[in-house]
Amino acid sequence: MKMVVCVKQVPGTHDAKIDPETKRIVREGIKAVMNPFDTYAVEEAVKIKEKSGGEVIVMTMGPPRAETVLREAISVGADAGILLSGRAFGGSDTWATSYALAKAIEKIGGVDLVLCGKQAIDGDTAQVGPGIAAQLGWAQATYVMEIPESNNGVITTRRMHEDGWDLCEITLPAVLTVVKDINQPRVPTLKGRLAAQKLDIPVWSPEDIGADEELIGLNGSPTRVVKTNPPPPRGAETLVLNGSPSESAGTLVRELRRRGLL
Amino acid sequence: MQHHIENRIYHVEVLPPKQDSEKLEADLERFTNKFNRVMDSGYCCCITDNAMGNLAFQGTEMIEELELEPKPGLVMIHLNTFHTKDDLDRILESCKEMKIEQLLVISGDGSDRLPKLTPADVGATDVESVTSVELLRYIRREYPGVFELGVAFNPYEPEEHEFAKMERKIDAGASFIITQPVIDNHPVVDKLLEKYPDIPVAVEAWMSKNIGLLSEAVGYEVAEDPESFNPVETLKNLHRNYPRCGVYLSLLGFKKQYDRITGLWEQVQSEEVAS
Repeated sequence: MKMVVCVKQVPGTHDAKIDPETKRIVREGIKAVMNPFDTYAVEEAVKIKEKSGGEVIVMTMGPPRAETVLREAISVGADAGILLSGRAFGGSDTWATSYALAKAIEKIGGVDLVLCGKQAIDGDTAQVGPGIAAQLGWAQATYVMEIPESNNGVITTRRMHEDGWDLCEITLPAVLTVVKDINQPRVPTLKGRLAAQKLDIPVWSPEDIGADEELIGLNGSPTRVVKTNPPPPRGAETLVLNGSPSESAGTLVRELRRRGLL
Repeated sequence: MQHHIENRIYHVEVLPPKQDSEKLEADLERFTNKFNRVMDSGYCCCITDNAMGNLAFQGTEMIEELELEPKPGLVMIHLNTFHTKDDLDRILESCKEMKIEQLLVISGDGSDRLPKLTPADVGATDVESVTSVELLRYIRREYPGVFELGVAFNPYEPEEHEFAKMERKIDAGASFIITQPVIDNHPVVDKLLEKYPDIPVAVEAWMSKNIGLLSEAVGYEVAEDPESFNPVETLKNLHRNYPRCGVYLSLLGFKKQYDRITGLWEQVQSEEVAS
C-alpha cells in the first residue's frame, strides 16, 4: 500500500504569542516540533507497512526548517519525505493548504491512503485532513481510533465519537485522521536518526506540483482571521504517579515537599 | 560490584544524547570521548536510561552504533520500566551479547512519549503496574545467572517506606545498591549499611557545583551553604565516611574535574591509614 502522511511543524510551547498585525502565531525563536497528533498518524502508517508491506511518504508544507519534522518521521520508519515550500504558499489557510497537499498527492501518484493527525495543536481546526479528501474527491474517516483490517482495497476503521465508536468500511483511496488512542508512537533509534539525516528530501514548489497560484497562499484562502487570542494559561497541572500504591505515595510526598507544601 | 569496591573503581555516570538534540554529531562525539576516557581509566561507565524522563538514546544502541568497545565488567546499563516489551528484550539481548553484566534496574521517570511496561509484559499477575521489583524478577527469571542486578536507594524518601521497598528489591534478586547523592554522610545510608552488611553499596557523589539542583530534586536543602559547596572535597569526605562503599559519580565534569578525581580514592585511603 502506498501511503502519504501529512504532518505539520508546530511551536513546542504552551506559551504561544500572537502577532497583533498579522494575527498569526509568532514562530521565530520558538523550538518547533512535530504536531503531536501527527506522530500517531506516522506510527500507524509504519505499522501498516510493517504488517502488509508498502511505502510511507511523509509530507509537510512550510519553510525550509520544516524539513526537521520530515526527518523525525523518517527516523521512525517512513521511507521518504517531501517538503512543499515556496513564498507563494505563505499565508495559506486550511483550504489552500489542503489544495496544495492534494496537488502534491496527485503528483506522487498511485497513493492508496492518506493519514493525518486529527488536528494541529496550534490552529486546532481539524480541517486539513477532511480538506484533502474533499480536494481529491476521496472517501474519508475522521477521529480513527483503530484500523482492524486493511485488504483488497478496503480499509476498516473504528471511529471515535461522543457516544462510543462506529465501525466503517472504506473503499480506497481514502483519507483518515487519527486520534491518539490508535497506537503508542515509537521512539526513534539512533540508527534511524542517523539514516534520516543522510536522506535527501526533495523540495517541491507550487510549479512542481502544478498548483494554480490563485488557489494557494493568501489568494487561495477564503478565511480572514479577524481576531486571535492565545488560550488562557493552564490553571491546573496533572501529575500521573506510576508504581505501586506505596511507591506512588512516596513520590507524592516527595513532590509535595519539593513544592514546599509539606 | 564488590570487585569494583575492592579495586577502587569509580562508577562514572554518562548521559547519552537527547533524542531532540540539534547537534547530534557533536553530542555523539562527546559521548564517545567520555566513554573511551572512562574505559581507559579502568573505571565503570554507567549509562543512563531516559534520565529524568528526558528522551535520550539507549546505552546499548550507542555502544553498537558508535562501535565502542566495552571492557569486561566496566559498563553498567541503567534500565527502567518505560519501554515496550520488544525494546526491553532487545536491550537485554544486546547486553548479553556485549557481555555487559551489570544492570541498574530502576522504576524510572516517565514522559508522554515513553511507553510503559505492563504487568503482562513481565509476567506479573499480582500488581497493577510494573516497578523495578517486577522488572528485577523478570530479568532474573529470563536470564538466570547472566546479569548482576543493582537497585537504587533514596535516603530522602520516607524511611520506613524506602526500607520496605528495598526489602522487596532484595527479595526480587538485587545484589548491589546505589544510593541517591549523599553530601558527606546520611544517617539513613548508615542504617542501610547496617541492615545489609553483605550487599555491596555505592554512594552517589554529586559532582556538579550546582547543589541547588539536587535540593530541588529531593525536596530538601541538602547543603548548609550552597555557595561554598565543593564537590571534590565532598567526594573525599564520602571516601572517609564510607570506606567500605563504592562511589558513583554523577554530573562529573570531564574537562576540569576528571583529572582531579583520578587517584583520589587511593590518596584518601593512604591519608586515612597514615593518620
